[in-house]
Formats: sequence, structure tokens, C-alpha cells
Amino acid sequence: MEKTNNDFVKWKNIIFEKFGAIFGLLFLVIALSFLSPYFLTVNNITNVLQQASINALVASGMLLAILTAGIDLSVGSVLALAISIGGISIVNYGINPVIGILIVLAVGAAAGLINGLLLTKLNLPHPFISTLAMMNVARGLALIVTDASPVSGLPEWIQFIGNGYIGQIPFSFILVIAVAIFFHFFLNKTTLGRHIYAVGGNPEAARLSGIDTKKVLTWVYTISGIMAGMGGIVLMGRVNAAYPNAGLMYELDAIAAVIIGGASFLGGVGTIWGTLIGAMIIAVIRNGLNLLGVAASLQTVVLGIVIIVAVYIDVLRRKKA
Amino acid sequence: MKKLFFLFIALTLVLGLTITVSADSHANEEYRISVVLKATNSDYWKSVQAGAEQAAEDYGVEVSVVGPSNETQVMQQINLLEDQISRQVDGLVVAPLRPAAAKTVLEKAVNRGIPVITIDTDADFKGKISFAGTGNFQAAQKAGNYMAEKLGGEGEIAIVRGAAGDYVHDQRVDGFLDAISDTNIKAVSIQPADSQRGQAVSVMQNILQTYPNIEGVYGTNDEMALGALRALKSANADEGMTVIGFDGSPDAIKSIRNGGLTATVKQDSYNIGYMGVELMVKTLNGEEVPEVVPVPTKIINKDNVDESIKELRKAFSRERLEDVFGKDVIEEVLD
Repeated sequence: MEKTNNDFVKWKNIIFEKFGAIFGLLFLVIALSFLSPYFLTVNNITNVLQQASINALVASGMLLAILTAGIDLSVGSVLALAISIGGISIVNYGINPVIGILIVLAVGAAAGLINGLLLTKLNLPHPFISTLAMMNVARGLALIVTDASPVSGLPEWIQFIGNGYIGQIPFSFILVIAVAIFFHFFLNKTTLGRHIYAVGGNPEAARLSGIDTKKVLTWVYTISGIMAGMGGIVLMGRVNAAYPNAGLMYELDAIAAVIIGGASFLGGVGTIWGTLIGAMIIAVIRNGLNLLGVAASLQTVVLGIVIIVAVYIDVLRRKKA
Repeated sequence: MKKLFFLFIALTLVLGLTITVSADSHANEEYRISVVLKATNSDYWKSVQAGAEQAAEDYGVEVSVVGPSNETQVMQQINLLEDQISRQVDGLVVAPLRPAAAKTVLEKAVNRGIPVITIDTDADFKGKISFAGTGNFQAAQKAGNYMAEKLGGEGEIAIVRGAAGDYVHDQRVDGFLDAISDTNIKAVSIQPADSQRGQAVSVMQNILQTYPNIEGVYGTNDEMALGALRALKSANADEGMTVIGFDGSPDAIKSIRNGGLTATVKQDSYNIGYMGVELMVKTLNGEEVPEVVPVPTKIINKDNVDESIKELRKAFSRERLEDVFGKDVIEEVLD
């Protein structure tokens, strides 16, 4: 009996913590349903899920960085580098596409690992700097390895990852849900996951309690790199090519998703579900405004305002608590 | 709670405002045609938009012109295309950023019974109705030929181009190089300046350090050509130099008129937009349309510069042109 009660309180808290994000999403969905007759159609909803996928995957990695009070500015560039190398391996070197996909993830992991080591071994003062450097390096390398032109001619089934459906549900979104469930357990049930929260919440206390902060941080950036790679695989499937200019400004969308999803820039607070909802909110806003024929320039203005509103709701909530 | 309430009110207002701003043309016209451009932030695309809107007015159809925030946002354009399919428009006129990437979504449109016409850049997909434009490659060949003519078939030149990996600028470089390949003109330096005037100034300064003997510069857009020209002027190296731009923007045309730039390549952007919508209306009316409608490209130089200012008036307001060229020039040319 007591356990059920505890569970109830826990779930209530979780829902409460997501208050702004979930209600924001509901508000948008209801408002857009009234404003556009095309919004709440099966075809359009599946589009939105598909359009949210890449950002949701990249933002999952970003969440880890932000949970440790850090940031990963390199995700967009790492995505481009990973798919460039993966794409070239498959198309130009005839490597088995399954291995090519693993190469994409491995390149992401390697770039992320370097981000982590720059932070923990060279003791660069803030991940802003190490990942800013990686952002430039990875983008440049992506242009070099592809000779600055797109790599096309990928096998059909890779397109399925980006454009395919299982029933009515886009495969890319099923991937997102699988990743979110994995992250949920990873963050809540594993030692490393809990340590990520601890390092972000209070690094000094974390270190005193014997947590190997540096190891945790290295893992965080490595996983962020892997998630950038995974977002890249979906993107490759979507556009049927790997190209070195892919993922420009994706770091900003990922950060926005994490922040709208209720994570704190100060670290230690945030959930994978919040981030997922954050990514959905961004996709819904873009999609809804497209349906209403609002120009791209005005869309960025709206997105900016939404970020401020989301964070302000968060500020108000914390004040009350 | 009170504050939360106000936030919701504010959010509703913002949303409402964007709707009012955007929903200005919801007349009860016959066809709803969507024109998806590569971007909407440059004079070139504004001129395409003006053409499309004029055609909409002439034919009495509803046209919405949209595009991603800039020409590198391939993914954003694909999302935009999907959303037009969701809107169940009657016809789709597209300038694809990356033809291969847009294939899936364009075929999806065709499968849902939405006719698709490409403009500016052609794409290969099942069920395409028509293409209106010349393409950057062919237009750039004209620039190459003109450069060859100006330099008498030999000499060193430099190219200042858009960002590495930008498809449009790849085409503009490749077409130019193709045209000069059978002359003795040598492109000694090809440097990216990310399509920006300011960056082109420093890029050109650096090129001059290494290659002081160049006789010509080709910028893959007018902004960069103007930036390069500024660098040449401040190094006193502009005398006898041939500087060719691309796009035919008002600023470039002004510079040509004042003896700055030598020439610029102008794709007839206004007509590309107009044609796209016109072809779509004909298709929707059940008329046969040609598979390819070439829209001519021309070189603007000192000889035809005044005529090109008249052309600009189609796409730009008189006030805008007066701001660029000055009241007296506009009066002299237009009146």
C-alpha cells in the first residue's frame, strides 16, 4: 500500500515536472487543429513525427551534456562528419551497408570521446570550448573527406530508416521511442546514469562521494557523439544521400528541445521524456506554421519566443516550489 | 497561477498575430498552388516570388510562396514540401535545393495526385510535368565565355565562390570552368567566401597577395563580386580588371552603371517564377505543356544596363530602386 502511494507521488512529481512542456504541446496541438483543417490528419501527424525524429535523437545526447551542466555544440558537425565517412565507405569503397551504419556510429563515438578527453584530460575550462573546436574541425573534415560534394547511391533499405513506415507509424519515430525507453532506464536505473545527474546537480558533492567525475563526463560526450551519428543515419535515409553541409545549426534545435523539455542549464534536472516533448513542440511549431503559410523567417521568431516562454514557466514553477 | 495565465494569453496573442500576418490572401480562388523556393532571403528569390505572384494575379489563382531560411537547409525544404502535401494543394512548383534528396517527397506528391513542376533547378523523378529555367551550369558557361572574350582568350583569373559543398555554387563554378577549359585562361585560385560581401573582401585581399598578376575575377554571386571589387579598389588593382558577378542584383547593376563591375549574369528570375505558375495553371486546366521551357539567361554589361533597370522594376518597387540607384537615375531611366 505504502509503495503504491510512493509510486503515485513519484509519478505525480514527474508529470508536474513536465507541466510546462506537456501542456505547451497540448495547447499547440489544440490551437493548430482549430487554425488549420490539415493539421490533425493522419498524414500530417506522421509527417510531424518523422520531422521530429532527427532532432529528438540528437537532443537525447544533448540532454546528457546539459544534465552535467555542460553543452555539446559539435553535434551538427559530428553528424555531418559521421555520415560523410559512413556514406563514402558504403558508396566509394563498397563496404557492407550494415558495417557502414556502424561506422557512422563509431565516428560519432570517436568525435564525442575526443570532446570528452579534451575536457577531462587537457582540462579545457568548459565544454563550450572543446565542442566549439570540434564543431569546426568536424565540419572541415566532412568537407575534406567528401571533397565538398554529396555522396549518393545508398541502398534502398537505408531510405527505409528515414522514410519508411511500420503500419502508419514512421520507422524513424519507432527508433526514437526505443531510444527514449533505453535512455529512461539508463538514466534512472544504472549507476552511470545516476552519476550523470549527481555530477550535474552538485559536482563537488559528487566528487566527495567518490564518483569519478571525469569518467562520467567522458561517457556523456561519447554518448552525445553516438546520438549525433544516429540522427545522421535517419537524415541519410530521409535525403537519400550523405552530404557535408548536413546538420547545420542542429545544435541549436537540440539545445532548444532540451530546454523547452524542462531541463535546467545549471545541470542535474531534466528527463528524456521532457526532451522528446521538446523536440515534438519544435516540430509541431514548424509544421503548423508551414501549414498556415508563415514564412521561415517569422517561424524562427516564434521559436525564439517559445523558448523564452518555456523557460519562464520553469522559473515560475521553481519559485513556487 | 496568475502569471501562468498571462503567459498563455501572451502565447495566444503571438500565435494569433502570426496567423493574421500570414493569412492576408485567402480569397476564394479556384486553384491553390504552392511555390517552394530554395530560400526567400535574397534578391534573386524575391524576384522569382514577384513573378509567381504576378502570374497568380493574372490567372486568378491562389499562390503561396515559401522557402527555407537559407540555401543550405536541405532538410528544412523537404519538411516544407511534405507540409504542402498535407495542405492538399492543387499543384506544387518547386526549386529543389538538392534534386536527389527531394526525389522521394516529390514522388509522394505525384502519387497523391498533386502535379509537380520544377523551376530554376531540374530534378529527376517519376511523374514530373515540366521544368522552367536554364540552370546555373548553363548560365555560368555564359559568364565563362564572356570572361574569355574580355581577356582575349588568355590570362590568369581568380574565382570567389559560395561555401564549399553548396550545390548551387558548385554548378556556377563548374559551368564557368567548363566554358574556359578550351581557352588559355587559367583559374589560379578558387576560394570560398560563403556568399558574403564582407568575407569576399578579405578573401580577395589574400588572393592578391599570392597572385598579383590576375586579370579577371569571377564571383559566383553579385555580393561576392562586389566585395572582390572593393578589395581590388583599395589595392589600386581595379584598373583594367574584369570583374564578373552572378544574379543581376540591383547593387550589381548600379555598380556596372557606375563603371565598377564589368558584367553580371542574370537568369531571368522573374520569368522563372511567372512561368512556373503559368505552366501549373495550364496543367490544372488539362492543357498539354512542354517538358522543358527554357528561360533565357543574359549578360548585363554597360551596353544594356539601363534596359536591365527597367526589368528590375517588375520585381522591385520604385522606392526600393530609388534607394539603390538614387532618384535622378531612376527618373532618367524609367520616365
